[in-house]
Order: sequence, then structure tokens, then C-alpha cells
Amino acid sequence: MSSNLSALLSATFYEAGHRHVVELVHQRDEASRRRLASLDLSAWDAGGKLRAEVSVDPRDETLDLDTLLAGHAQGERLMVTFDARYDVRIFPYRPHHYAWLHRRGSASAPLYYAVNAVLGGVPDRIGATALNNFETYVFLRRPVAERYAVLVGNVSRFSTAEAQVFTYYVGGARLTQRVELGPKAHVEVALPEQHDGARLERVEVKALFRLATYVMGRHATSGDLLLYDHMFTYFK
Amino acid sequence: MSVTTPMPRDGDLLCYCTDLTVGELRLACEDGRWPLADKIRTGKLCTGCVGDLLYLLRRFGAVAALP
Repeated sequence: MSSNLSALLSATFYEAGHRHVVELVHQRDEASRRRLASLDLSAWDAGGKLRAEVSVDPRDETLDLDTLLAGHAQGERLMVTFDARYDVRIFPYRPHHYAWLHRRGSASAPLYYAVNAVLGGVPDRIGATALNNFETYVFLRRPVAERYAVLVGNVSRFSTAEAQVFTYYVGGARLTQRVELGPKAHVEVALPEQHDGARLERVEVKALFRLATYVMGRHATSGDLLLYDHMFTYFK
Repeated sequence: MSVTTPMPRDGDLLCYCTDLTVGELRLACEDGRWPLADKIRTGKLCTGCVGDLLYLLRRFGAVAALP
């Protein structure tokens, strides 16, 4: 493989029953389409067992995860990793994957989100100015969902990850949940929407190293997906 | 459910920020050359590989040389 190639590993989560289409490269320039050098997709169950591996044609513009993974999920959630290799002359910063997500049959609007870059999000040539293994998400004052959770995945090959999930409530109260994840394992951590009558304000995930994390919100009765977003690097 | 930890493979990319492979790390550890001058920021940028880096440094016997 050419030494000019850089690498980026991004991750999301797939569930059967959802249309989930990933843009390999987000771009608007019809005159000069940009392509990745290669893209390998892998999917892992909650225990970290490999369920699927697919080498994707980088000339494809989108991936339909439901088509690729429905037969592998067996009704379970899968963590999906995208191992992209790209030429830095074509992508001066890094390629981003974006995705469109909608629960089949749901009357709720589809969601569009940036796929979480977990490995290689800060190439050496760019440098880093802040820790990015502390991540946060601030909820709207008027909640859009009635059941919140964070999805946490460990993309390591060998190392177990220990993470703390903190929820903060109006008035300053804080609750802590701890999770331990083996390599490629993942979990959904439910977030109490209220504590002593106070509304959930924000959530933080802290770990020794960066994990794949998303905040998810569902309608309490229908289960419709109303929020699916990556968390943000913690600045303070 | 038990999941077997895979064997490190030399060709696998370890650090996606500095392009360090498992094989480069293993050889550097065996030769007492870790940390390599051009890989000094391994594990410090996106931080995502830190867990695996520490695991492999222990496995390759170079924990004492951790920067």
C-alpha cells in the first residue's frame, strides 16, 4: 500500500428495522468526484464477536447498511466500523462519512448525522490541542426525546476499556454509571431523564482512550428514533 | 460469551494518526529503539489506540520505555 495513504477508522451502530445509508464521502463537487483508496466494513455484536466483514468498492458513493447487515444482525445491535484509507493529496484534511437513518414505518423525520471518527481523527500533521477521550453532549432545554441513552463501543483489538458515564441535572446533581467493554464490545447505557425532579442537562463519557459514542433518543411509547448524534470533545 | 483476543499481526495498523504498524512497534521494542523518533506522538493524538499500545508495549516487553 502506498506510503501516501492515511487511515481513518469510523464507527456507528446498526439495528435491524432501520434504513441506514452511509455516504462514503460527503461532497458537492460534481466536476471532480473524490474517492477513497479503500474501505473495509466490519460489524461486531455486543460481546465483540465479528459478525461480518465486507470490502467495499470505494467507487460506491453510499452504503446501505440494512442490505449489507440485516442477515448478520439476528435481531441484535451491531457496531459497524469503517476502515478507510485515503490519499492526503485528495483529502487535505480527512474524509468524513455521514449517514441517513430512519426507522422503517416511523412517522418521525429521518436523522442525518456525522459518523464518529474514532481512530485517526487527529492525524499527526494536524496536531491536537485538547483531549478527545472526554466527550460531552448538552441536551436541549425542551427535550426532543423521552428516553435517552448513550451507545458506547470499544474499537480496540486487544484492550478492555473502562468508561464512566456521567449525567448532570438542572441544579447540579450528577449520577455516575460505569461500563467495562472488551475489545469490539459495545453497550447501550440508559440515561435517567430526571433526578429528584430535575431535568437531564448533559451527559459525559470519560475513558482512558477514545471510544465510539453516540447519544440516542427515542419516543417513549412508539420507540421511534428522534435523536442520534455523536458526542463532542470536552472543552473546559 | 467469551471472545478470544486476537494475535497481533505485524501488518496491522496500530496508530491511525502516526501510521505506526504492529510490526514496526514490535521491531522497535525488540531492538530497544522505542519510542521511534518519528512516532513519538503515537497514542497522544486521537488517543483511540492508547489501550492497544499499552497492551502491545507490555507484550513486547517495553513498558519501561513508555514516553
